[in-house]
Amino acid sequence: MLKAYFMAGAIALALALPAGAQTQSNAELDEIRKQIQELKENYESRIQALEKRLKQESAAKTQGEATETQQSATQVQQSAQAAAAPPPAQQAAPNAFNPALSLILNGSYNNFSVNPANASVTGFLPSPLYGDVLGPRGFSLDESEFTAAASADPYFRGQFTAAFSEGTISVEEAFFQTLGLGHGLSLKGGRFFSSIGYENSIHAHAWDFKDPALVQTVFLGPNFAETGLQLNWIAPTPLFIELGTEIGAGATEPGLGLDTGSNRNGIPSWTAYAHIGDDIGTGGSYRVGLSTLQTSTGNNAIPFGDLDQTTGTTNLFTGNVRLYGLDFVYKWAPDGNPVDRNFKFVAEWWYREYAGNMNFDSTSTLGVGPVTESFTAKQQGWYAQAVYQFVPEWRVGLRYDRLNEGSISTGPTGVAIGATVPNYTPWRAAAMVDWSLSEFSRFRLQLQQDRAQQGVIDNEVFIQYIMSLGSHGAHKF
Amino acid sequence: MTADKVLKVNRWLAAAAAAFALNHSAQAAVDVFACEPEWAALSKEVGGDKVSVYQATTAMQDPHRIEARPSLISHTRAADLLVCTGADLEVGWLPVLLQTSGNSKVQVGQPGYFMASDFVAKLEVPKAVDRSQGDVHPYGNPHIQLDPRNIALVARALSERLVQIDHSNTAYYQARLKDFEGRWQKALVEWETRAAPLKGMRLVPYHKDSAYLIHWLGMEEVIDVEPKPGIPPSAGYLSELLAKLQAQPADAITRGAYQDPKAVEWLSERTKIPAVTLPYTVGGTPQAKDLFSLFDDTINRLLKVRNPA
Repeated sequence: MLKAYFMAGAIALALALPAGAQTQSNAELDEIRKQIQELKENYESRIQALEKRLKQESAAKTQGEATETQQSATQVQQSAQAAAAPPPAQQAAPNAFNPALSLILNGSYNNFSVNPANASVTGFLPSPLYGDVLGPRGFSLDESEFTAAASADPYFRGQFTAAFSEGTISVEEAFFQTLGLGHGLSLKGGRFFSSIGYENSIHAHAWDFKDPALVQTVFLGPNFAETGLQLNWIAPTPLFIELGTEIGAGATEPGLGLDTGSNRNGIPSWTAYAHIGDDIGTGGSYRVGLSTLQTSTGNNAIPFGDLDQTTGTTNLFTGNVRLYGLDFVYKWAPDGNPVDRNFKFVAEWWYREYAGNMNFDSTSTLGVGPVTESFTAKQQGWYAQAVYQFVPEWRVGLRYDRLNEGSISTGPTGVAIGATVPNYTPWRAAAMVDWSLSEFSRFRLQLQQDRAQQGVIDNEVFIQYIMSLGSHGAHKF
Repeated sequence: MTADKVLKVNRWLAAAAAAFALNHSAQAAVDVFACEPEWAALSKEVGGDKVSVYQATTAMQDPHRIEARPSLISHTRAADLLVCTGADLEVGWLPVLLQTSGNSKVQVGQPGYFMASDFVAKLEVPKAVDRSQGDVHPYGNPHIQLDPRNIALVARALSERLVQIDHSNTAYYQARLKDFEGRWQKALVEWETRAAPLKGMRLVPYHKDSAYLIHWLGMEEVIDVEPKPGIPPSAGYLSELLAKLQAQPADAITRGAYQDPKAVEWLSERTKIPAVTLPYTVGGTPQAKDLFSLFDDTINRLLKVRNPA
């Protein structure tokens, strides 16, 4: 601190020294010292002003009209106070770096009582993905995330986020967003995490548990990214009301098995969401949301294993997939200051409906197909989780996860080869504690009992680290 | 129509007219979104009844760590002018508000984006920025509000900005500023006279948020309670600090209303150095009701421990 103080200006220091040499004895000396101090301050601010102005000369040209008029206004009014303001500095960008760069390092040590490579979610498809979400046994390098973001010009900003994991690099988000539409409107274009639900738009490093909720993984897997356009509108009311819609390719949707893309013109996927939120008292605030995702396969059938994972056939689904969701988040901190203590509660419910046709045994593996029959599946899932920071640095959390197999209706061939609900309710329970020495580092221990697969009780232990390097990210509510 | 009904209709008309008038005057005012209480207070001082001020945070909240909650987004959407500190103080939440709000008037670089720290000379601008030094601010220390001379600089700039946004009230804003500056100048002289005994006082602030106060009054910052900015002191660090303060005594350990009192009290008890709660901003103590009483109370509280009566 002292060092920085002295750095403020060598001249100021030189002036300060004789003042410091004075002994504190009588009022007269004090008075003289005060005058010198004032003189020092005066010179210091003037020198700083001059230095600033010098720097500004070159920058001045690039500054907008706004600043120009302001500066001239400053000059007109400067007569009153000779001590004078330093001319307005260049306005601070979101970060000292342009664009703002940040890197997330994420890794874990995982212990499973049952081999996660075979993990699946009974009655829900496609479930082989589930083991990938949980991660491998032992030490694991998890998704590292790189983000670059900046304003493109006064009208647009852009953001790019890539995720690096063993053997793959994926573009999680790469979008532009308008800044100048006004009227509460903003438009996003490119690829972005859809704003449906709550957990869906949150990047892995900001999750409150090591893995996403089961319903999130199985239905949206685990972040449904739309490649297309998003229009978002904030209502001009004191009560927070947000409405939005997205249209796009819906192609990066592993949870729905649409990763091959729909291979057709037009818009195979659209979403809509509505959020309402407000404060409750001085320390609490909430947001509730209603979402839907509607997508169709077109003629490009998606592979669909069989539902109880016993026969290993390939079935192809064509038709519509519709999701409806409800989400709720509540946060509280004493006086609204989360630094020492804070509490967060999140709950989400999702309903998913497949409606179309299934081409059973498309490769004739079982010798009964290929046979096309109508196929409808109505399934749902929900989770509730609470996280409490009880002292600075330490948080504890609990989560309960559950899926409801719902109903499946299809023709006789489908029933014959096992496309029926297996009469099982997958569920999980997790407890975690995490420790953050600063805002930029976190270590987490999570214990989870996983009963996603019928007949399997997997006891899981995760030890995880998350490091945030680079520019200070801002987090959503 | 009976007389009764006529009366009712008249009443209804009057209510509608009143509502219209209210609505109209609400539209006429400049909607200010003030990130911190000191800027809300200053906006009221220089904007008077031509501005309608929404204060986003309170003195009980750490301005570094605010949730970008729904109510803040809807108020950002409604704002004509953001009055914030800048210098990355709000970097953890303001960008989310700006991006979500869909409000073109308050985006970076627009007249509606007013960052107070752009108008003052900042202290402690680091030569190198590295997080090994904690949550450092690359643009310098952003806690500029505790030097009243900074407040004067910001007041002038803010008044000019209001003129730019709301031309039709130019004379009003200029008169408000003149009046404020007159009162502020008078107060400044009084504060400096009263605070003369504080010169050379050795402080141990919780966070690096007293730098401008210390600089203004010629005090000394011995060490911070936080080991690095934004990192709370551990038990181990506190005992280290205890040893340091026993070897190198200070006059007061200070903290803001939103900062953890436990560490400060623990230190104070063991070192016998008095702990002082400073308001840091408007509303930080019951006495700090506006910008004037903010400085009155800050000086009073420090004088109390400087000259124990």
